[in-house]
Amino acid sequence: MITVNNRDELSWHDGMTVQDILDVMGYTYVLIMVTVNGVLVHSEDYSGTKVPDEADVRVIHIMHGG
Amino acid sequence: MIMADKISIVINGKPREIPEGTFLLDAVRKEGITVPTLCHHKDLMPSGTCRLCICEIEVRGKKKLVTACNYPVREPLEVWTDSETVTRHRRILAEMYLGRWPNVRAVREIAGLCGVSESRFKGRYTEEDPQSCILCGHCVRACREFALERILDFAGRGIHRHIAMPFNEVDPHCIGCTSCAYVCPTGAIQIVDDLNQPVDPQMIRDHGMKVNAEMANLDPVQCRMREVGTANIVDVMNQYDLLPVKNYKYGSHPEVWKIDSKMLKAKYFTQNMPDGCWKGCSMACAKTIDDFELRTGPYKGQKVCVDGPEYETAAGGSNMGCFDADFIAEFNFYCDTYGIDTISAATTIAFVMECFENGVIDTGVTGGLELNFGSGDEVLELLHQMARGEGFGVDVGQGIRWLKDKWENEYGADRKFMDDIGMETKGLEVSEYVTKESLAQQCGYGMAIKGPQHDEAWLIFMDMVNNELPTYEHKAEALHYFPLWRTWFGLYGLCKLCWNDVVPADNKMTSEPQKVPDHVNNYFKFVEGMTGIKLDEQKMLDQSARVYNLQRVMSRMLGYGTRRDDYMPYRALGPVTAEEYESRQDRYDKQLREIVGVDPEGRSTSEKIKILRDYREDQYDKTVSVVYRRRGWDDNGVPTVERLKELGIDLPELVAIVEKNRG
Amino acid sequence: MQDLETISREVNRDLRAYKATLMVCTGTGCISAGAFNVRDALNRILKEKSLESDYLVIGTGCNGFCAVGPIVVVQPEGIFYQKVKAKGDVEEIVEKHLQKGSVVERLLYRDPATGQRFQTMADIGFFSKQRPIALRNKGIIDPENIEHYIGRGGYRAIRGILESGSPDEVIESVIKSGIRGRGGGGFPAGIKWRSAREAALQRREIPYVVCNADEGDPGAFMDRSIIEADPHSVIEGMMIGAFSVGANEGFVYVRKEYPLAMARLGKAIRQARERGLLGKNIFETEFSFDIHIHRGAGAFVCGESTALMASMSGKAGEPRAKYVHNVEYGYRDKPTVLNNVETWANIPVIIEKGSDWFASIGTGNVRENPWGGSSGTKVFSLVGAINNTGLVEVPMGVTLREIIYEIGGGIPGGRRFKAVQTGGPSGGCIPVEKLDMPVDFDSLTEAGSMMGSGGMIVMDDRTCMVDVAKYFTGFLMDESCGKCTPCREGLPALYETLDRICNGQGKEGDIEFLEEVSETVSATSLCQLGGTAGNPILSTIRYFRDEYHAHIRDKRCPAGHCKALITYSINHEKCTGCTLCALKCPSGAITGEKKQTHRIDPLKCIKCGICFEVCNFDAVEVK
Repeated sequence: MITVNNRDELSWHDGMTVQDILDVMGYTYVLIMVTVNGVLVHSEDYSGTKVPDEADVRVIHIMHGG
Repeated sequence: MIMADKISIVINGKPREIPEGTFLLDAVRKEGITVPTLCHHKDLMPSGTCRLCICEIEVRGKKKLVTACNYPVREPLEVWTDSETVTRHRRILAEMYLGRWPNVRAVREIAGLCGVSESRFKGRYTEEDPQSCILCGHCVRACREFALERILDFAGRGIHRHIAMPFNEVDPHCIGCTSCAYVCPTGAIQIVDDLNQPVDPQMIRDHGMKVNAEMANLDPVQCRMREVGTANIVDVMNQYDLLPVKNYKYGSHPEVWKIDSKMLKAKYFTQNMPDGCWKGCSMACAKTIDDFELRTGPYKGQKVCVDGPEYETAAGGSNMGCFDADFIAEFNFYCDTYGIDTISAATTIAFVMECFENGVIDTGVTGGLELNFGSGDEVLELLHQMARGEGFGVDVGQGIRWLKDKWENEYGADRKFMDDIGMETKGLEVSEYVTKESLAQQCGYGMAIKGPQHDEAWLIFMDMVNNELPTYEHKAEALHYFPLWRTWFGLYGLCKLCWNDVVPADNKMTSEPQKVPDHVNNYFKFVEGMTGIKLDEQKMLDQSARVYNLQRVMSRMLGYGTRRDDYMPYRALGPVTAEEYESRQDRYDKQLREIVGVDPEGRSTSEKIKILRDYREDQYDKTVSVVYRRRGWDDNGVPTVERLKELGIDLPELVAIVEKNRG
Repeated sequence: MQDLETISREVNRDLRAYKATLMVCTGTGCISAGAFNVRDALNRILKEKSLESDYLVIGTGCNGFCAVGPIVVVQPEGIFYQKVKAKGDVEEIVEKHLQKGSVVERLLYRDPATGQRFQTMADIGFFSKQRPIALRNKGIIDPENIEHYIGRGGYRAIRGILESGSPDEVIESVIKSGIRGRGGGGFPAGIKWRSAREAALQRREIPYVVCNADEGDPGAFMDRSIIEADPHSVIEGMMIGAFSVGANEGFVYVRKEYPLAMARLGKAIRQARERGLLGKNIFETEFSFDIHIHRGAGAFVCGESTALMASMSGKAGEPRAKYVHNVEYGYRDKPTVLNNVETWANIPVIIEKGSDWFASIGTGNVRENPWGGSSGTKVFSLVGAINNTGLVEVPMGVTLREIIYEIGGGIPGGRRFKAVQTGGPSGGCIPVEKLDMPVDFDSLTEAGSMMGSGGMIVMDDRTCMVDVAKYFTGFLMDESCGKCTPCREGLPALYETLDRICNGQGKEGDIEFLEEVSETVSATSLCQLGGTAGNPILSTIRYFRDEYHAHIRDKRCPAGHCKALITYSINHEKCTGCTLCALKCPSGAITGEKKQTHRIDPLKCIKCGICFEVCNFDAVEVK
């Protein structure tokens, strides 16, 4: 089980990547910053970064309306 | 986001993987390898004219020389940045530069890098001035890419090439943004300051240029403000279930593709230039539709220029259930022409539509207009009636609060229902965002001094998506900081989009990325450069708080400005109707179970609605209290005298108002 | 629209109804020699004698034999009359030849070596060795009458393709023919078309086809002649290309200095539109295509494909990096096929006669791989120190010797061949040792020159090779757009060095400087203007290094050309005192009594060479 934004729980599977999490959560916005267990993950590494079980994942959207 | 494929290349013998499309120079410099350049600039598109960055590459078995700065890597290759061939040619090139411009510092540096101290190229064309133009083209590109203008360009053929303005006249389109001087490496372009004598113009320029560079380089991969303006938000809101649909009942709709930024860009927007705000703005987010033929009204059949649509207008269309870009463009045009606010119009009409569909009013009231959701032609007719001053439109033009009173009095309409679904607070219609799942934003709207618009707070993502405001204290802190910061822009007459609609590449490394601290600093430096006044966060908050609290006191003076006025209709807090609850049943049932602590099993929808409502209204109350405290107001929402003292605005008149009206 | 066969039948029948047709060459060269006057005189005389229904005068495009214009060919006999004058000659042709059936001997072509006269083109070496394919209709049709082109089989190729061909088939055919770009690049046209088609399909963009008629090389007039003689061959070629890649619009970029070509092309396009051969639904299929003409404005660099497209877009004619090719992002950022006039003109006949036929002409084996040889023919403009100046079209692989001596008739004045410059200012000089080399893309490149657009400038022993290098370098220097440093800064420095050398101020180290800088300019320039700019210098140094040494070390010009290094003097043993030189001398530098040896004052002598030219006794010497 992994936690997203300290609130949502997703079931974990082996080989789960950051991009998988974004896809499941429907997080398509472009100005986001992602940390996995406190470590920043760069956007070019979303598909290549695997997320461990029990991870604390934060996806912070920088969005302040128009 | 489309991820680029990785390409395997070898750089000076070392194998590396780089994203497809990377310019070779960027890949090579990332390795710490020095490559001389003159025409390259980190914030501008490469031009590949100085030829110093040539490297030898071998691709598909063939060796060739390419300029690394603009060579896109699309297939595997091997590159040598300092082969004998490359070094030999660079030396000759360096000789050429040194012979032509022997005293320019940037040229001497290059010559030194290439091991050249003398030149056989000295002669007829040599220029001795250390501030000579070296034809690097930075100024031409900066004018195009930062300022979106074409004031400067090259003229003259061959050795006579030089920089010029058209017809050698000072171009009236030049607005003096000084991007050209900023990027000139030799000082060939000088700025002559006149006008309103800022204290430190260079400070202003340095920070402004940073924003210009970000707009040119980052905006295309961020919010695309230059490309589609605020309309890009339609796409985002729909994806996150926050786009108001049918009077804020729902947050997304399958037909949104008919009105999103992709459709607008493909089929509607024709203009892309600084428009309506001020010339020289490098964000240039105002978009326009030329030659739009109107279908209705006094200008029917004419081709007009539609200034927009912005997000609010497009989302207003969605709120009225009108997923039709032609309608939205015409709605935009006539609102502009008649001087009608598109937000108030859309939110009011959405309310009218829901009342019509629920039988609160009928065609007898509307004068025959069938005002169902999605009835675009009827909406336009309402606008024309408003303008003509006749018909049902005149009533609609008075706004939601007036309509509720009239319909209750004249037709005995259900006031409670209308209060729940009529999206207005303090008499002002709500702007086009769905706040149902964000308590922070509900308060942000409900507590705003002017009424429910997001000039003060826009916390939906921080709250609902990021979960960054889990406790009352978090929310209160945000509802203290952001309204003050966001209204501060208005005090100085500055557009806030350069604060948040583009963010620096390294924003995510900062300690408070939500504040976009680098950009906050830009604005402080702007003030300092203009006036000499040094600002920091606290000083800025105090500046804003003085005016904010003054406004609150004035509200009080007029008989408003207390907790009673800081409420939102329940539609903003949660599901009013069964269809709304059932459209998100799983989510609401889960909340009842996990957060409210009530088992939804076996309960009717109306029961569950009531339970949820009680909970949410209680939450709202509690949050309001905490925010008041944080702001230094009493529990009724009136500024305390201590707070006025703290801000230095405890003038006798103001103290008198707050003490008399403590309520 | 009438069908092609009907038009063809009728026009040929109409032509055959005449007793004879007089083909007057009205290419630009002959016009400047008076061809319009000849044509008008013929028409006037025929009218005066009421012979208009028996004889037809047709103004054709460039015949090719520019040295002997104005030219009149009487068909169907094929009698070839040269240097025809409007006054005198024309009457004789009508009265003696047409009315009395007797050939006008004195107007026939005369071989300069043997003095023999020849009657028909088939007998004349200049023509008999050629193989006109791109110029298949030169001298035979009226370029301003589309029916003539149709009468010669025109527009059948595109019709056949539209009726039963597919784009992929056409592209395969063009690839298999091996045709390589005739503008200088030598890139296989079919491969270019295939890449463009793929890019267009992948990106769902509509591509463009462009014809490069900028022809900037000094001395080159192949493309001009093709358009002046047979504009429809280019139109039909572009239609075939457009069909293959999926284009609906084509552009021809014609240099401003070609008003006649532009006028004829414009007229041809209009006539094609009137017949429904351009426009919507051609031959009642879904294929729509039209052509627009863009006019250049006097820049050699606009012959470079990306500069040309910039110019068409209204921007300054400056090239861009070609790391992303035109076939992907070209005109208006769409996939674009740009080919040269001569390339387009070959396409219809490749389709009609088949790729195998075309591939069998020329050198190498292109069936497996179009880079494997040079197929088809090439049109060359043969100019300079050559008897038969003009346009020649020969199969690839013909040797330089054959072109220069058998077709070109050798060097005038019995002088010695020294070198031939091929490929214009981007090419190099080829010396006498290589006269037997085959003329094809790869052989020329190996020899240090290039095919280029087909210019061939022959030089005799009075040509100074250093001056040749200086001339071409100066040309390129003036035409450099100035965008990139090596070309902009390098060419003036090279020119000044060569100028110094020609003026007797060369010094040790100059040759090394010329070599180093030429190599860097060629290797590091942004486009092929700079990219080939080193060739004239490097090739002349390669083959004529001692000539450079003579200029630098001995302050001597072996060819007797560089004014600063030569003196004119009169050999008193040969001088007869005829005073002709003194009379002609423009600066009054020659003095002498009648029948006495004359003398040239070196201080007044401006080295114009007129005395040398007029002296009948070879008494004027150049040292």
